[in-house]
Amino acid sequence: MSLDTEAVQQQPATAAQPEGAPQEWEPRIVGFACNWCTYAGADLAGLSRLQYPPSIRLIRVPCSGRVNPQFVIRAFQRGADGVLVAGCHPGDCHYSTGNYFTRRRFLLMQNMLQYMGMDPRRFQARWISGSEGPKFQQVITQMTEDIKALGPNRKMRDVE
Amino acid sequence: MKAIAKTQISELLNQVAREYNVLVPVAGADKYAPYTPGIELKLNSRTLLPPKDVFFPQTEKMYKFSTDGMEGSLDSLLTTPKPQLLFGIRPCDVKSIHCLDHVFLSKGFVDEFYAAKRDNTFLISIGCNGPAESTCFCQSMGINPQDTDEVDVHLFDLGSQYGVVPKSAKGEAFVAKYAALFAETTEEVPAVAEFTLNLELDGVSEKLAQMFEHPLWEEVSRKCIGCGACTYLCPTCHCFDVSARVAGTQGFRFRCWDSCMFSDYTRMAGGHNPRPSKKERVRNRFLHKLQYFPERYGDSLCTGCGRCLSKCPVNMDITNIIKQVREVDLV
Amino acid sequence: MITEKMRDVAKDLLTKGEVNMVIGWEKGTFWYNSTPVFITKAEDVERLVFDEFCTNNLAKYLLDYKTAEGKVAIFVKGCDARAVNRLMQDQQVQRDKVYLLGIPCGGMKEAAPGTQPQATEGLPLVEKCQNCTSPNPVVFDVLLGDQVSVRDTQNRFAAVEKLEALGTDEKYAYWGEMFDKCIRCYACRNVCPACSCRECAFDGNGLNWLGKQNNLQENQMFNITRAMHVAGRCIECGECERVCPMDLPLMAINRKVIKDLNELFGAYEAGMDVENRPPLGQFKLEDPEKFM
Repeated sequence: MSLDTEAVQQQPATAAQPEGAPQEWEPRIVGFACNWCTYAGADLAGLSRLQYPPSIRLIRVPCSGRVNPQFVIRAFQRGADGVLVAGCHPGDCHYSTGNYFTRRRFLLMQNMLQYMGMDPRRFQARWISGSEGPKFQQVITQMTEDIKALGPNRKMRDVE
Repeated sequence: MKAIAKTQISELLNQVAREYNVLVPVAGADKYAPYTPGIELKLNSRTLLPPKDVFFPQTEKMYKFSTDGMEGSLDSLLTTPKPQLLFGIRPCDVKSIHCLDHVFLSKGFVDEFYAAKRDNTFLISIGCNGPAESTCFCQSMGINPQDTDEVDVHLFDLGSQYGVVPKSAKGEAFVAKYAALFAETTEEVPAVAEFTLNLELDGVSEKLAQMFEHPLWEEVSRKCIGCGACTYLCPTCHCFDVSARVAGTQGFRFRCWDSCMFSDYTRMAGGHNPRPSKKERVRNRFLHKLQYFPERYGDSLCTGCGRCLSKCPVNMDITNIIKQVREVDLV
Repeated sequence: MITEKMRDVAKDLLTKGEVNMVIGWEKGTFWYNSTPVFITKAEDVERLVFDEFCTNNLAKYLLDYKTAEGKVAIFVKGCDARAVNRLMQDQQVQRDKVYLLGIPCGGMKEAAPGTQPQATEGLPLVEKCQNCTSPNPVVFDVLLGDQVSVRDTQNRFAAVEKLEALGTDEKYAYWGEMFDKCIRCYACRNVCPACSCRECAFDGNGLNWLGKQNNLQENQMFNITRAMHVAGRCIECGECERVCPMDLPLMAINRKVIKDLNELFGAYEAGMDVENRPPLGQFKLEDPEKFM
């Protein structure tokens, strides 16, 4: 797994932020984006010069159904403040039904994370199609704001 | 014999805690943990988790490293702990520390991580006047449940008080230093109560040397589920793995307990596994305890503490396996 | 006496050569232990027993013999039978390779270690049997004994609801304290009839999903992943919690998943049959979508 460390670790530790300057803190959000829809949607957002916070680190996966709960926990372990799983809208899956399984799995996973004491807002799933550049912009902006309000994540984290 | 009332133990611990990091058997967690005044002690029996992690933690960082361009640096993470006092270990666990000493300190090799903690630890043991648990069989393994010599101070259980006997020069000094807490007693150490689990160990090691290919191993291993509960709860199991955690340009190397019951324990690069099934793994565990270790160090690697027997999910019973080995007719 | 019937039927099967092995229970070290036994010779059937201490779920052992010649007979209580169904559903066990000897089960008991033998009526039920929803085998070739009635299972989710009511940080602190205790012996995984992968992601296969350090984060990774992996396939036999040497409340995690699955995607009990697929292995177009 190349998810290992570098992508999420190159930035200085959030704990080093001086007190009283919370506005400068940028959360780190790991986004698992399906190759066929969300990744294209992100591309479109870029091509359209839509501004969105630099907090998101996208990891391209063949299908949102490829993402399993371990990916999410590993992202939190390695320093993510939030995790987003995004893929095609129901009915649009490149593999016909992958995202229906995603929907069940991650609804359960969000409940599980909540049960384990994670704030459920830190873990989100969204449908973003290849033509929804503005939705991608809006989702990232909203999630960044939500997580900024929550502050840095310390739970499950095993990096300084 | 000197003695201290059981009600005075917390006073003793409070006083020695000024000098040492005191580790005591804690009731709830059922393990050895740092002493704090008022903590609930478990002084009537052994703890579920053995004291081996005091000297040999489940995970121990060994050194860290980092790179900066073409430069690299390496720093040892070996630390010498503050003097510590391990209070209340049972003779079976004292024996287990003796076994670990063989492994980590003898035969011309000294493990500096183990030695740093071992040299810095003052041992106070408590004797048992019989089997503390139904699963105890230390007596059959050649251990005197009441007494031991391989500590600094030993406490005999005299009912309402502990008889205090120094067992080393450090122990003598200790007893002298805290003399105000100890009174003279004429009370005798009671007779050892009868053990319910008894077995005969004579000749087992020699016999096992001829039983590597015996069908018994297939038979006894069938119910094993291959978990590591027995090895992790065992006070003498000491196998470890060395691994590293790397993050970007820095990382550290650590060692951690490993278990011969796991399939990846003997797996080699390329995938070959010389112990492919539970038959080979179970056999190895028992041969290590009862044959290889006695051959190499002259001591059994089972101390009869009974932890594996009490917690094994499928009641793999080492005493029963020893009995079966003894019944085998080698032709 | 069930024990007598067990011995008779086992002897019969072995003598006629219908099966090569019978998996059952025998008496263990103490009067309050019964432990798995593997009988291959008709003369050994006297070792078989069925009493209130046969807590072990035997189904998982079928994996050890799935490539063996001939048939294996296995005694199944309610939970064991559901486990066999689960393994068959995952194509781990073939129905025509096993002979299922069903035993309706009144629940297993436990005695305090070290106590003298006593009447089992007065002993408490083991934790794992207290909320049993299926004491009668759901699949069998022959049934030994009469069907028993299902106990009141109203408190099945009580522990889960109690934990759900805690605040976010309280929950994290609670589970942190629990997972801190985990020694990662993997007894919960190895005993679980839903954990049937030939190779586990947590074994050292170079994937490094789980570091070998024993610390809270790695223990969280292990425990949460384990729960999610058996989600929808857990048959609530409670073996994981029973075998945990550190007494972690693992069923409070598994039952949380079961409760959520039931609420989100409709009632489902794993292992009741082989036709109904587990909830995470199927979907409906109208599934809830509240956070998409």
